[in-house]
Amino acid sequence: MATQDSGIQRPELAANDNYLNHTRGIWSWLYTLDHKRIGVMYLVAVLTCFFVGGVFALLVRTQLLTPDGTIMDQDSYNQAFTLHGAIMVFLVIIPSIPAALGNFVLPIMLGAKDVAFPRLNLMSFYLWIAGALFFIVALLTGGLDTGWTFYTPYSTDPNSSMGGVIPAVTGAFILGFSSIFTGMNFIVTIHRLRPPGMTWFRMPLFLWGIYATAVLQVMATPVLGITLALLAVERAFGIGIFDPALGGDPVLYQHFFWFYSHPAVYIMILPGMAIISDLIAVHSHRHIFGYKFIAYSSIAIALFSFLVWGHHMFTSGQSALVNVIFSAITFSVAIPSAIKVFNWLATMYKGSISWNTPMLYAMGFIFIFTIGGLTGLHLGTLATDVHLHDTYFVVAHFHYVMMGSALIAMIGGLHHWWPKITGKMYNENWGRFGFILVFIGFNVTFFSQFMLGSQGMPRRYATYPDDAGFQIYHIFSTCGSYILAIGFFITAGYLLQSIFGGRRAPSNPWGGRSLEWQCTSPPPHDNFSETPTVGDCYDFSVLEWSPDEQGYVWRSDIPRPEQAKKEQSAGH
Amino acid sequence: MTLTSLIAGLMPAMLGDATGPTFWMPEAASTVAGEVDWILEFINIICYVFLVLITVILVYLAVKYRRDPNQHRISDEGPTHGMTLEIVWTVIPTGLVIAIFWVGMVGYINLRESPDDAYEVSVTAQKWSWTFTHPEYGVTEGAELTVPLGRPVRLIMTSADVLHSLFVPAFRVKQDVVPGRYSDLWFEATKPGSYQLYCTEYCGKDHSKMLATVHVLPYDEFQTRLGKLASEYEDMPEADLPRYALTRLYNRCASCHSLDGSSGTGPSFKGLWDRTVEGKTAFTDGTTLKDYMGDGGEYELAENYLRESILNPGKYLVENYANVMPNNFASQLKPRQVEALVLMMKNLDDLVDEDGNIIEPPASEEMTGEGEGG
Repeated sequence: MATQDSGIQRPELAANDNYLNHTRGIWSWLYTLDHKRIGVMYLVAVLTCFFVGGVFALLVRTQLLTPDGTIMDQDSYNQAFTLHGAIMVFLVIIPSIPAALGNFVLPIMLGAKDVAFPRLNLMSFYLWIAGALFFIVALLTGGLDTGWTFYTPYSTDPNSSMGGVIPAVTGAFILGFSSIFTGMNFIVTIHRLRPPGMTWFRMPLFLWGIYATAVLQVMATPVLGITLALLAVERAFGIGIFDPALGGDPVLYQHFFWFYSHPAVYIMILPGMAIISDLIAVHSHRHIFGYKFIAYSSIAIALFSFLVWGHHMFTSGQSALVNVIFSAITFSVAIPSAIKVFNWLATMYKGSISWNTPMLYAMGFIFIFTIGGLTGLHLGTLATDVHLHDTYFVVAHFHYVMMGSALIAMIGGLHHWWPKITGKMYNENWGRFGFILVFIGFNVTFFSQFMLGSQGMPRRYATYPDDAGFQIYHIFSTCGSYILAIGFFITAGYLLQSIFGGRRAPSNPWGGRSLEWQCTSPPPHDNFSETPTVGDCYDFSVLEWSPDEQGYVWRSDIPRPEQAKKEQSAGH
Repeated sequence: MTLTSLIAGLMPAMLGDATGPTFWMPEAASTVAGEVDWILEFINIICYVFLVLITVILVYLAVKYRRDPNQHRISDEGPTHGMTLEIVWTVIPTGLVIAIFWVGMVGYINLRESPDDAYEVSVTAQKWSWTFTHPEYGVTEGAELTVPLGRPVRLIMTSADVLHSLFVPAFRVKQDVVPGRYSDLWFEATKPGSYQLYCTEYCGKDHSKMLATVHVLPYDEFQTRLGKLASEYEDMPEADLPRYALTRLYNRCASCHSLDGSSGTGPSFKGLWDRTVEGKTAFTDGTTLKDYMGDGGEYELAENYLRESILNPGKYLVENYANVMPNNFASQLKPRQVEALVLMMKNLDDLVDEDGNIIEPPASEEMTGEGEGG
């Protein structure tokens, strides 16, 4: 299936042809159906939003340096934390790994030329752009101060909340469709386009994680869409659904919202876990330990995640019996998460562990995710959650999971696939230095918030009493956030520098076995000239270091799977 | 059950009699706080063990099996699966989470089930203040809630507008306050003193200022105090009413109506009286107060307009302000209290200075109802 207009059939040109220079001009990007280019466009868009959301985070942290606030009035602060949350959740974390990295990597890992529905894929991207534009409209039509959760009746009363609620929920609604289309596309792609030899249990674990995520995206997101549509209808036309003044039920909104938004937490963390499984194995040059347990635990987490939404509502007025049931089911999620952590550790045993940037991020992930997961125990436990609910303890917990785990995994994955995406190597020493700042900055910022919360500091406060002893923790936290910001700026700096001045990346700089490391860096337009045959993608013993390539190559004394197959069929 | 009782047996030994603030928890001042703190410490210990275990293993493996950067070694050693290990690290966490769930559930049931003989207080939350009503005494409090020591107190709560949540860290209790329904919460204070009360469900602009103080008093002092609060404004000479309104009632107005002339969610009280008498106040429908005042008008006197603005705030909206003031003050304020508020606005210049600070009364003047409140 070689394309006619490309030079790929002529070997002397094929070496230089890649997806970046295959066609030229801005329209060749904007109209592209190439999953790699769509992935790169997602990456640029998501990282831009990450910058904007980060600026809001720094404003929030700076405000809280003193009890009476430093730089904002109440209304501005309420907008700042709302936009920080809404941007980071809907525009950054949810699309970051699946839509940006997943789009780039998933078809190549399958040895496919593209996803199953390339046009739908491009449409997902433009829906994402449309959703992001609606958030800007929300800012221009009066602002948004509801918190990212849009709790009713505050959000549906035009006299209470600011004017941007309807544009914002419209944006979130559209982003939901973007997410659903991406999920559907990946499910079909994984089912239909696996190469010969890749059975379900020979898939790289990244694909298992993305698959479990895609199922959640397709099944949970419609509920959010309907809920937000009901919210908009109530606000615009006064039709009573959630507002008791109109005969509605505000707690019903919370049920609907968390029925999506709890699975959404796993839409965020499962791809992160998926990346970590592959990073640990590749950078330890060691076969993954407990493949099936890691794979099944992703599916188990996805299934359990539908049954635990009520743990966000232990103090909402839900009956005590319902609370007890939700608490019990919630603890079941802890077990597959623990299984993953122990299997990752066992993978490192007797490995050959590289201390490069992706592996440092992976090890940082294990530490941070352990804290994020363990503090979930305090919140799943009824007696302690009553005290901790809606305090900074919750803020710290979900930042450890959503930011310290999901986003750190994303950044680890970005470093892992950066040579493949850009064809350039970044400076490893700057990479390690950036990691150290990010890791220290993150922990200083958010660990202090655990104490802040358990001591009683409520969340979403623009000011706080000065005699409650909160300020010292806020100062720690704010200083940490500045370190974190410096770490991210350094990271952005050396990654951008590498595009212009980085060393050319070999096909396989780390010694990975999954298929993306078998095509050139950056990959050609069609990924593979013929469909590759795969073996065990965690058996690294067939690789060896090539000083000429400055990368890993197939061992000369072992036949490649394609050759082995050909020899076999020739023998018949 | 045996597990719980076993763990419960360890509790006093671990906790001691400490009720002061610890590294993790604030001061403990209710009967349930001890159990909540103990459960938290129980979970903490499990967390410490696992965090240390995982971190030590992680660092040990990373150091011991670190690859020599020049060697590019591929590992073909080590097992790829192990059923025994998988079972071990599935079963042990499962057992631990069941134990945590169980102690948490038992503690929660104690937290939720209020004793029959509880002293009841009705609570109304509204943006951005609290109203605490003691039905037994017919007393309403604003930024302060006075409760008896050593007797269970049950709060029956509802909201006049959006979601709120009542949280007293020292008592380890929290419950959302929902419009259109009642929710409840109980505690029994164990130490006299003053404790911070917060709103913990985001409710808009001044969410972080929706605070109150809980005063715990020994039972006889509590009775005396409430008795005094019940009658103070009824017996008070008219001359004292403005100051009574400023010190006892104004806190429920303060989040929206300033005393220093700065514009808040509502118009400032500073200069309000003069604006009203002169009929200068402009409304959103283009009319001014002058159109409604004087003989034969809707408001013969400025007092009538101010009274109506408190009891029926949505009737005429002052220009540049939205219709957000709660309209339930008629049920919360006694006629004499409304009278006191109107008198406060009328005499505001004698009560506060240019910057809105309260001027202390001359020492010779004896104030009723002033005193130990703060």
